[in-house]
Amino acid sequence: MRNFDLKGIKDKVDERTIDKSAKSAMALTLREGIETVWDRLEKQQPQCGFGQLGVCCNRCTMGPCRIDPFEGGLERGVCGANADLIVARNFLDDLSTGAAAHSDHGREVVETLYKTSTGQSQGYRIVDREKLNRIAVELGVDVKDRDQNDIGKDVALYLLEEFGTIKNSIKFVERAPDQTRKIWKNAGIYPRSVDREIVEAMHRIHMGVGADYANILLHGLRTSLSDGWGGSMMATEVSDILFGTPEIKESTINMGVLKEDMVNVILHGHNPILSEMVVIAARQPELLESAKKKGAKGINLAGMCCTGNELLMRKGVPVAGSFLNQELAIATGAVEVMVVDYQCIFPSIAQTADCFHTKIISTSEKSKVPGAVHMEFHPETASDTAEKIIRTAIENYPMRNPDRVMIPPKPVKMLAGFSVEAIVKALGGTAKPLIDVIAAGKIRGAVGIVGCNNPKIRQDYGHVTLAKELIKNNILVVETGCAAIASGKAGLMLPEAAEMAGDRLKEVCLSLGIPPVLHMGSCVDCSRILVLGAELGKALGVGIDQLPMAGAAPEWYSQKAVSIASYFVSSGVYTVLGVPPKIFGSKNVINLVAKDIQNVVNATFAVEPDPVEASKLIINHIEEKRKALNI
Amino acid sequence: MKTVFINISRCIGCRHCEIACITEHSAKKDLSSVLNDEPRPLPRIKVGLGINFLTFPNRCRHCDPAPCMQTCPTGAIFRDVNEGSVLVKEDKCISCGMCAMVCPFSAIIFHNTREANNQISYKCDDCIDRRKEEMIPACVDACKTDALLFGEINEIISRSKQNVVMKITSDIKGIEPFGEPENIVIFKGIMEKIAGLGPLPSSN
Repeated sequence: MRNFDLKGIKDKVDERTIDKSAKSAMALTLREGIETVWDRLEKQQPQCGFGQLGVCCNRCTMGPCRIDPFEGGLERGVCGANADLIVARNFLDDLSTGAAAHSDHGREVVETLYKTSTGQSQGYRIVDREKLNRIAVELGVDVKDRDQNDIGKDVALYLLEEFGTIKNSIKFVERAPDQTRKIWKNAGIYPRSVDREIVEAMHRIHMGVGADYANILLHGLRTSLSDGWGGSMMATEVSDILFGTPEIKESTINMGVLKEDMVNVILHGHNPILSEMVVIAARQPELLESAKKKGAKGINLAGMCCTGNELLMRKGVPVAGSFLNQELAIATGAVEVMVVDYQCIFPSIAQTADCFHTKIISTSEKSKVPGAVHMEFHPETASDTAEKIIRTAIENYPMRNPDRVMIPPKPVKMLAGFSVEAIVKALGGTAKPLIDVIAAGKIRGAVGIVGCNNPKIRQDYGHVTLAKELIKNNILVVETGCAAIASGKAGLMLPEAAEMAGDRLKEVCLSLGIPPVLHMGSCVDCSRILVLGAELGKALGVGIDQLPMAGAAPEWYSQKAVSIASYFVSSGVYTVLGVPPKIFGSKNVINLVAKDIQNVVNATFAVEPDPVEASKLIINHIEEKRKALNI
Repeated sequence: MKTVFINISRCIGCRHCEIACITEHSAKKDLSSVLNDEPRPLPRIKVGLGINFLTFPNRCRHCDPAPCMQTCPTGAIFRDVNEGSVLVKEDKCISCGMCAMVCPFSAIIFHNTREANNQISYKCDDCIDRRKEEMIPACVDACKTDALLFGEINEIISRSKQNVVMKITSDIKGIEPFGEPENIVIFKGIMEKIAGLGPLPSSN
């Protein structure tokens, strides 16, 4: 057994991450006592078992209550809720928080389309007119002989209404195969609108409303569908309209994308609406000139987390890292400004920045951060704000202490931009070649590896190991979020990575010039995986649940991942989680989500932290699905 | 011999015992006013993380003979004759640290108390005041999973002995496992794997 007292810095670093580019900065934080998420995880130990098991209820002031997980005398909270109900309410609470985060992000993008179409925004334009028209037709918006702004306005209004509609249906849901939608109707989980499901979830978990755990979880499935096929899908589609549908492109990734002789600006968070404007501002000759006057060779933008993924997909902006890299990037000493929008921003990030010259700039009215400079983003003044951000970064460049700068040597190359449209284009215009290679068994199936990092698991180990195992077994991997950043850093998103794939998948990758692991975008872009599944299902004439597909979130931490995993499962996709959700305090809830839910949506959740074991579960599942399809 | 018996497999790391200990030793014995206490009381029982996310609530075991008591040069550490608890007479403590050095459980720290302005030997007092009122120690009272039990040690042991016998005979008969609920067994297995994959202590 290891001796924990004697553990050196190198051992600690190796236990925390497999991201080589992060190691020198992490060692610095340990040497200098700069607190990071891993230190806080240590300090929080032991973490409360009632909370981990989901049997702590802190909703009302008769409580807080907890249930004895060892089935002692403490079986009910003050209100009378047992372990099943407390676990189910907590789970629905987490799920709804996640669905709300995705969907509120989606709403802001749609609002920006509205303001752009009505001439109220600054710097935006409709970039993908073809997609605007396609979606307009899908929504039944008249496109004939109409100005694109008029179409844009109607599309935006239509979609805004989907949030609180009285129609009791969401239009994008109709993209799912008929068989899948029939399952939803029969189970009573057909999503009605984005906001409604979330509000209703909050209502249901109030004391004295839902007392039946199964009924509460069923609503969870419906709420998740309103995210995946609603709020998240709107975020993806409308971002494509405003900023362009991603096309396959080269870029670079890891903390080595920071530049020693340039003004470094990190764009961190999730929503691309402001950062797209920052990308434009950073190219202004006048700003470049003033950067040079301060002694820098130029302005270097680097993405982080899902804002990074959004910019990578559409603009090829290099990515410095994922969720767990945010403090370490600052510790390179080379970051002038870290712009944050929202979600997954450490509340303590400004304290980390205090140890260096880095300025944190918060930009969302929803996401203010103590110690950060606040430059509030509004579509009406987006260009001005973006310019101000770049100017702040330039002004801060001389404050950098060159002796403290420590940038890892070389970033890794990668391909990104695999939107469903780009995949279809690479296949020659239809999804048919993909279906053919799946039917012929060259590709056994497709797996979406998604979700976050979690400091409890060595950073990227779960993602990268699972992806390698799957491609070795001729399974195509599609990724979003921090999972995608992990594979990018590990070199799995290069066409050369085909060498790591099984012979048959390798042959397909080489013939198309694509990597065996495809970057499909940010976490709201998990909706692209749903669309891909829907396309495949429709082409084969089956529901998504019958496809040789699976989902995985090997290192998830966030409530958003609860929603994603739930809409994967609700859509018929077997999903393996690497970190247990907070449900193990209830045998009945475990039985429901791991077994009985099969009878409702023909898919289940599984929990398996070991990525090699997880790959076995997934391979078995895919082979079973193939057998059922007779392929 | 009465003691606080630790049922290790039942500890889930909630740290209710720590909060209860702080509250019990605060000026008003009231959680909401603890933050106003000066000096702020520290928990005299501490739940630590071991391997595989398993936890252990560590406190003074009130040994007999007690190494701390034997080594204390001023006689500040003494035994309560009625309850057998090992206690500190604060005004006699010279903060030499010998008691902490010989404590087999590292259960003694040094901290200011309301009576002493210097950092003195600070340890579990077995809730001696509560005991005098026939109440069980605050940490045991707070524990909702029976990880902490208070009573005659042989009585508690005989109860767990019976559990062992039940478990072994169930195993022989191959009937429903006797012991922890299945969901908890699965959860602990998952957490053991996570410990093996990350930076926190693991058996791997």
